[in-house]
Amino acid sequence: MAKDVKPTRKNLMAIEDRIELSERGHDTLEQKRDGLIMEFMDILDEAQDVRSNLESDYDTAQKKINMARAMEGDVAVRGAAAALKEHPEITTESNNIMGVVVPQIESSKVKKSLGERGYGVLGTSARIDEAAEAYEELLESIILAAEVETAMKKMLTEIETTKRRVNALEFKLLPELKENQEFIEQKLEEQEREEIFRMKKIKDKKEAEEAELEAEAEREREAVSAD
Amino acid sequence: MSKSDSGSNPEYVNARVRARRAKLFDDEDYRKLVRMGTGEIARYMEESEYETEMNELGSRYNGVDLIEYTLNRNLAKHFEDILDWSGGQLYDQLAAYLRKFDAWNLKTILRGVYADSPSEEIEADLIRAGEFDDAFLARLLEVQDIEGIVELCSGTIFGPGLDEALEQYQETQALVPLENAVDRAFYEHLLDDAGTVTDVDSPAALYLEFLQAEIDFRNVRNALRLSRSGADIDPAEYFIEGGRLFDADELTQLVTNTDELVARIRDSAYGDDLSAALNELEEAESLIGFENALDAALQEYADHFSNSFPISVTPILAYIIAKERETDNIRAIARGKEAGLNEDEIEAELVTI
Repeated sequence: MAKDVKPTRKNLMAIEDRIELSERGHDTLEQKRDGLIMEFMDILDEAQDVRSNLESDYDTAQKKINMARAMEGDVAVRGAAAALKEHPEITTESNNIMGVVVPQIESSKVKKSLGERGYGVLGTSARIDEAAEAYEELLESIILAAEVETAMKKMLTEIETTKRRVNALEFKLLPELKENQEFIEQKLEEQEREEIFRMKKIKDKKEAEEAELEAEAEREREAVSAD
Repeated sequence: MSKSDSGSNPEYVNARVRARRAKLFDDEDYRKLVRMGTGEIARYMEESEYETEMNELGSRYNGVDLIEYTLNRNLAKHFEDILDWSGGQLYDQLAAYLRKFDAWNLKTILRGVYADSPSEEIEADLIRAGEFDDAFLARLLEVQDIEGIVELCSGTIFGPGLDEALEQYQETQALVPLENAVDRAFYEHLLDDAGTVTDVDSPAALYLEFLQAEIDFRNVRNALRLSRSGADIDPAEYFIEGGRLFDADELTQLVTNTDELVARIRDSAYGDDLSAALNELEEAESLIGFENALDAALQEYADHFSNSFPISVTPILAYIIAKERETDNIRAIARGKEAGLNEDEIEAELVTI
């Protein structure tokens, strides 16, 4: 990689600029990653609670509906369910946590009163009421779990991306830039040394030539005087 | 649909019913069923009284659905037979009680049409044990809208109530008023044929007492449900006249205070029968245990009937209730097994032997 870079002073300056920018970016991303992890840990705790509530709500709802189906019959339970007209509705909005857009789910008409469930009160029993209530609670838990777990997954993806960027800067880009910087510096130093050496050589050569000319002139002067 | 013009024949119907009663599952059968899987239960039923229905429905359903539809069809067959055998006042008295299945069928059809279910699906859920004959039910099933069903019912006991509730349905598009109108019509006509009781120690008095208990228990059940739900519903809307326990004003007042309501039931004629259940209700959140106790108390009334006046409406009514209990028990065992409940749970929570 370093061999591809032209060892010029201009390139060295550009690389130094990039190193400075990358180091600044690395610090920022590292802070973002740490912040995201802290936020994620909070959401994780919430998600664990929500998930365990969801499981217990599901067990309760299943138990209640099984009891209702056993005692009232499947047909009666299905009939009571068919009487429902007002179905629950959900609306989603977005929330921003450290640059990560997570959904915020608002539900309505999930919990219903006895009069809103559609089936007649006179011909049904508390078993159907309790099964309906347990399923309404389960639905609320599912909606909450959907919100929290989606946020958690999005945060996790963002943490992964940020971590990869931090690692790429720390272990790939910055070392490469530094290597290039070192390479160019070494090359430039080498060029400088060569230049000095060359200059010295030229100087030595010039001195030798001058000395030879002087010696020749001396010899000529001696020959003239001898004649 | 009354047969009042012909004579009442409790002797004949009792003789026929006695033979049917002997075929009911006993405690030993339930103990065996509780230890079986759902396949074995179906097999056991196939070798019993339920053989014909099992074979008829075997190609359409399987598993616990087969058991449930078989139970419903068998129940319908027996109750239809009883109405066919009965005449005169006996018919009227039994029909008044069995109209609960007319109410069931009417509600099933209303719900099916409301939910746009195919008529085959609605038809499968009907229990043809009431007064509505097959032709009338077929006409109801052909109707595509709620208004048409209400119009068709105008000649039945459900007609006036449904007419009144239709306006509310059209305003709110909610089925509740219609369903309540159907159930209310059933309960309000329950005492029509009970007659006037002159002798307190007579079959008519026992019959009336049983029906009043049924109405009282329904009122208690609804009052407690309304009281616990906290819904903004007028309790008087759900009050059924004819019981011995409350009047509408008293119930409206008691619904706002569950403790007073429980104390009132405790001080009533039903207090002794329901004492344990009321204690449980005060401690626990769930109404289910209390409803089970109400069912058991009603069952005790029915059992008391069987032996008091052997040649009257009461043993027939006791058989009807025992048959319903058998259906409920077998279904409870099968559904309980399907849901993975263990034998103790099924015995403790579901089966009323």
